[in-house]
Amino acid sequence: MAEKRITIKATRFDPDKDSAPRLQSYDVPFTDESMVVLDGLNYIKAHMDGSLSYRWSCRMGICGSCGMMVNGTPKLTCNAFLRDYWPRPVTVEPLNNFPIIRDLVIDMDDFMHKLKSVKPWIIRKQEIPLGAGEHKQTNAQIDEFRQFSECINCMLCYAACPVYGLNNEFLGPAAIALARRYNLDSRDQGLKQRLPVIGDSEGVWECSFVGECSVVCPKGVDPAKAIQQSKLDTTLRFVLPYGNRED
Amino acid sequence: MPAAWWTRNRHYFLYVVREFTALPIALWMLWFLVEIKRAGDGPASYRPHGSTGFVIFSVVCLFFALYHSVTFLSLAGVIIHLKVLDRPVPSRLIVLTMFGLWALASVVIAAVLIGFAR
Repeated sequence: MAEKRITIKATRFDPDKDSAPRLQSYDVPFTDESMVVLDGLNYIKAHMDGSLSYRWSCRMGICGSCGMMVNGTPKLTCNAFLRDYWPRPVTVEPLNNFPIIRDLVIDMDDFMHKLKSVKPWIIRKQEIPLGAGEHKQTNAQIDEFRQFSECINCMLCYAACPVYGLNNEFLGPAAIALARRYNLDSRDQGLKQRLPVIGDSEGVWECSFVGECSVVCPKGVDPAKAIQQSKLDTTLRFVLPYGNRED
Repeated sequence: MPAAWWTRNRHYFLYVVREFTALPIALWMLWFLVEIKRAGDGPASYRPHGSTGFVIFSVVCLFFALYHSVTFLSLAGVIIHLKVLDRPVPSRLIVLTMFGLWALASVVIAAVLIGFAR
């Protein structure tokens, strides 16, 4: 019986030689139903064309490195099964809305700057000394932010967001979701430091609620929800007399 | 971004339709202001605009307004984060409350308008 095979069309782009990205087809053995798109790319790199460049690391949907456009949809390639596409070809392209460095590798500098700008870490006015013991939280307090803490910075939401595609000054879904994650954390006191960034015109107010960021999130985070709730919060803080209290 | 980005998937398309509904609704509201101005001259000289074209335009605007309202109110469950007795209010209940208030407001406004017309 002939070996089952699948065609993978991957973007190739060498900034020193090419004026624009192009697609190159590879005919890859599809020997195992559990094969994912990343396995296909790894096969190409190992056996067919060692010059193909792409990011990957954990192979298990944790690191968020292998996000690419798979047949036009942002996906983690370690979580996109070839069996869902076979016998049709699979087109793999770099994430939309980002500059391409080479082949399937995008320039993530813009996202990293935005992520840093929302200070996605616990901010304390005064650190509690280690000797004072752990900073306890109830299950209800953890449930407040748990969903948003699942974000793995894979940037699929940025690739799916037409608002970011049209205006890359927009802070974007993941950065706002992570800002909300820390704003909702009972241990955090950094809300006032994050507000100028998330409440800016290029922050939550740039979002017009397309909602595709939440659809493509591989971890079930709902960035659209974080953004809309942040809009309500920033408005209430502006309108209500106690809105700018210290907390 | 290519100009036709919104045709890439159904979700984008419905989003653009939702945003577009604001335009015919705004046009209809402008027309409504004109009618109010005309009515201000007194009942003797006022003739409501009833051409077939205007009725069709109004019906189309009504569908756009309903689509806009339903999508807007359905999202309330995502946006509003309420707690009662320290327990989160289910999104579904928030959405149902929104639709209930919408229906109530419509009935009250209709009653007021009919009351004035008599």
